[in-house]
Amino acid sequence: MDFYRSHWVLTFLVFAPLIGAVVALVLPAARARWVALWTGVIELLVATPLFWTFEPVGAAMQNEVALPWIPNWGIYYRLGLDGISLFMVLLTALLLPLMVLGSWTYIKDRERVFYAMLLALTTGVMGVFVALDMFLFYVFWEMMLIPMYFLIGVWGGKDRIYAAVKFFLYTAAGSLLMLVGILYLFSRYQALTGESSFAYGDFLSLPLTSGEQAWLFAAFAIAFAIKVPVFPLHTWLPAAHVQAPTAGSVILAGVLLKMGTYGFLRFALPLFPGAASADTTVLLFMVLGLIGIIYTAMVAAVQPNAKRLVAYTSVAHLGFAVLGIFALNVQGIQGALILMIAHGVSTPMLFFLLGMLYERTHSYEIEDFGGLAASIPIFALMLVFAALASIGLPGTGGFVSEFLVLIGTFRVQPWIAFIAASGVIFAAFYMLPMVQRTVFNSLTRPANRAIPDLCGREIALLVPLVAIILWLGIYPRPILERMEPSVGRLIERVETSRFVSTPGEAVVASSASSSDEGIRE
Amino acid sequence: MTLDFASQADYLLALLPEIVLSLWAMLVLMVDVFQKGNRVEASRPVVAWLSLAGLVVTAAANGWLLTIEEAAVTGMVAVDSFRVFVNFIVLIAAALAILISIGYLDRRGINRGEFYALLLFATVGMMLLGAARDLILLFLALELMSVALYVLVGFDRRDPRSSEGALKYFLLGSFSSGFLLYGIALVFGSARSTNLSAIVPLLPSLQESPMFLIGAGLLLVGLAFKVAVMPFHVWTPDAYDGAPTPVTALMATGVKAAAFAAFIRVFAVGFAGIYNEWSVVLSWLALLTMFGANLIALTQGSVKRMLAYSSIAHAGYLLVAVLAANAYGAAAFLFYLLVYTLMTAGAFGIVIANSRGANELNKLDDYAGFGWREPLLGAVFSIFLLSLAGFPLTGGFIGKLYILRSSLEAGNVELAVSLVLASVISYFYYLRVVVVMYMRPAPAEEANRTVLLTGPGQLAMSVSAVAVLALFFVPGWVLDVAQRSVASLFTVPGTFFGLGP
Amino acid sequence: MLPLNAALFLSAILFAIGTAGVVVRRNAIILFMCIELMLNAANLAFVALSPYAGIDGQVIVFFVIAVAAAEAAVGLAIIIAVFRHAESVDIRNFSLLRW
Repeated sequence: MDFYRSHWVLTFLVFAPLIGAVVALVLPAARARWVALWTGVIELLVATPLFWTFEPVGAAMQNEVALPWIPNWGIYYRLGLDGISLFMVLLTALLLPLMVLGSWTYIKDRERVFYAMLLALTTGVMGVFVALDMFLFYVFWEMMLIPMYFLIGVWGGKDRIYAAVKFFLYTAAGSLLMLVGILYLFSRYQALTGESSFAYGDFLSLPLTSGEQAWLFAAFAIAFAIKVPVFPLHTWLPAAHVQAPTAGSVILAGVLLKMGTYGFLRFALPLFPGAASADTTVLLFMVLGLIGIIYTAMVAAVQPNAKRLVAYTSVAHLGFAVLGIFALNVQGIQGALILMIAHGVSTPMLFFLLGMLYERTHSYEIEDFGGLAASIPIFALMLVFAALASIGLPGTGGFVSEFLVLIGTFRVQPWIAFIAASGVIFAAFYMLPMVQRTVFNSLTRPANRAIPDLCGREIALLVPLVAIILWLGIYPRPILERMEPSVGRLIERVETSRFVSTPGEAVVASSASSSDEGIRE
Repeated sequence: MTLDFASQADYLLALLPEIVLSLWAMLVLMVDVFQKGNRVEASRPVVAWLSLAGLVVTAAANGWLLTIEEAAVTGMVAVDSFRVFVNFIVLIAAALAILISIGYLDRRGINRGEFYALLLFATVGMMLLGAARDLILLFLALELMSVALYVLVGFDRRDPRSSEGALKYFLLGSFSSGFLLYGIALVFGSARSTNLSAIVPLLPSLQESPMFLIGAGLLLVGLAFKVAVMPFHVWTPDAYDGAPTPVTALMATGVKAAAFAAFIRVFAVGFAGIYNEWSVVLSWLALLTMFGANLIALTQGSVKRMLAYSSIAHAGYLLVAVLAANAYGAAAFLFYLLVYTLMTAGAFGIVIANSRGANELNKLDDYAGFGWREPLLGAVFSIFLLSLAGFPLTGGFIGKLYILRSSLEAGNVELAVSLVLASVISYFYYLRVVVVMYMRPAPAEEANRTVLLTGPGQLAMSVSAVAVLALFFVPGWVLDVAQRSVASLFTVPGTFFGLGP
Repeated sequence: MLPLNAALFLSAILFAIGTAGVVVRRNAIILFMCIELMLNAANLAFVALSPYAGIDGQVIVFFVIAVAAAEAAVGLAIIIAVFRHAESVDIRNFSLLRW
């Protein structure tokens, strides 16, 4: 099992899709989807054992590697895996083959480029989750924009260009400020030690004044908040979701949004613990998360377009994740992590289902449906299940995660927790009518009577999602176990710094905790 | 070998690349004349290839310069690796310009041997400009370059746009030469020399001299005109737009590289002692240029003109590197210049590829569906555009990062943040071209439009694109070279770069 | 001998007149003459300064004259080329190129 002890498994997971992309471009168009499917299946098969080979002890990074890339700048090819990134990697690997299956008949023109873009996108996303060099991280972070941009802009709906450009500019603008932040850390490190390094571990040990922390945290937080997206910066998301082809929406909701929350957990919090745990920051983000939950729930409730409705629910769900993260305690952050996974399977499932419906009826308008349970019962069943999972019914992952988040929040801000809890009810308020108006009621449109039910391929791609949703809801323990050391480590870091940091004084982060070595190497 | 310029013959060695290229340019002229006799007809292809060969020979001579050293830094021409690096950039720019002009000139009916000869003469001027350590040599080099370029811009004299561009370029170009020359006169009067190495030790005493400061200010204005920094850019869009596209490519790359090299030599090295004075002015110019040019570029409907404004914006980025005032600044400058030359010349090459016959109108809409019609050139153009925007996976990203890094290390956080914000604006218009290329359907009648870029040009574009990518993935070697080239530049004691001999 | 200040003052005035002319006038030929005036103002300064700053100043003047001649040759040719199209040398008429 050497493969799983070394970095090769991560390197493979990152670059196999890229190789697949090249192969898909070279082979005839008819083969492209097969290439993509096989790449996805191999990716999933290689990734799955990570769940067992990952050792849930200690907070140290696993499968680490550091190979010189641009050595005179201290840029290394550094990868590593911990309890936080493990599940994001698994989620990405899971969604890739499913996305290919979901696009199987949906994409009819320029297939080669489409599947190549999809695979290249996976490389970027995978890289973001395992990169431990800030330069490498930034490169992956930006790199994934290009394929996503093309996925939306070329294969999207009517307003695809608007959506694609908005998506690109929002994200790119935010991340450029982060780039300045990264460079600032780099030059601080160089001034301090005389060595060039972009290593995450090195930056963790950098002492920063509280003023510096505040600015840097702001630079990072804006980049991540756009990606999450946190309330006032969310407007790109509905546009992108509605216009994107199914596979695009799936990966957007499934993993791309998680890059934002992941960024908070991996970078913004541990690097700038003083600024992140300041009372104003916590309150600000909690309130923004709360607004996200309530406001978008209300907006979602009046959407005539089912896809747009689901897009808004993403903002609401990730509002919970933001709450959990800024609760800064074990329950909150674990809840946020579980929510990232749960949302990463339930929302893609909804998008898949809507995509299948669209292939049959060429519409996302709720008005155009009704009574589908009579004509396509399997679809109806799946949609009801996915909707309930999205609402967070007990027994699904959504329930566990939201419950944990609320407990975590309650410990710091009981009132916010109280209001947020009503968001769970709101979820039912927008989701259930949608389900009712599409699959129940009476079948009014004759055209809907003749549409075929889900085929084997479609059922096959939904079943794994169903299984994972149930698993998360019923027995999340193995997952929580694997997260726990990393989460504990993160909290310890933030907590200790809270005592050290007083305004105007340097926060000596490295001396703050002795178990730092865990992450550093 | 060591040169000490004790005998004038040493200058012949120090100027070997320039001499080779000048003679070669005359040879090109002769070959053309003897081939054609007194017939009025297009030049043979051999003239273009001969010119390219001249650039290759010059590049060899330029490489040879690395093996010789100078005993002191008092000569009129510098013999250092900074100059060698800049020369290589200029030669690459000239080679790319020649490669994309093959076929293009025939189409416009201006395939005359003089075009290539003038292009080579302009290149000689650029090379001298990067080498000048004496203000008078700087002036002469600048004029050698400019006079050749005035002609090149107006080379298609039957085209009113070309003539108009030439007139504007000529009037404003010689206007700026006037400033430059008067500045030199004042500096000469106060410092009693035009040699920068003689001026450097006097700077502490000259700091208070109004005559010197005014002279330096006029020099700054003159050079700012040449590098096209706002608000001294008014000639740029017109000259770039009107000129035959290969000339535009050369002006946007080689001319800018050489003029900026002179900027570094005069201000960063020579006038380092009055950094506080000129840095204030330059900071404002840089801010104005970055934001102004990017904002105006947004409003352009013509791709060629958009690229003209983009090159002005890039002058702003390069100013940030000059202002960084540390060892990384100049190295970042060299690295960025290399990437910039490749991507800008490449982008203009695509403009040629997508123009319609002799009509040079290059509206944004003309690019609809270009990416799907011409997969290779579309991908190449996308790479250039992303690189111009400074996006990861391209050399433009590393270059911009280098500039940002040098700027942060110098404590110019505001400039670094401004550069980033300006880049955000630039995303809009670079991206718009990509949008049109891939996401807007081509009009039906365009389906079989041919690409107007000949094989050599296409090859050159592809190689440039690969080079732009390579400068991201394996930049180590070039970064090293840039760093070392700069170290040799700042052997003049008392420079703010603080890199002793 | 003429005092240095007087000579420099004169050259400064000539330079200013030349600059102002370029800014104000609209006839390409006159613009060109104003630019020549600027160059010659610089020449005057070089010559006036050379007793104090070294003989270089006088040598430089010859370079500048040569350069100005080259510029004149090219510049007038360009103006003629433009005149053929526009039948005018008034630069207000040239607006094919506009941002």
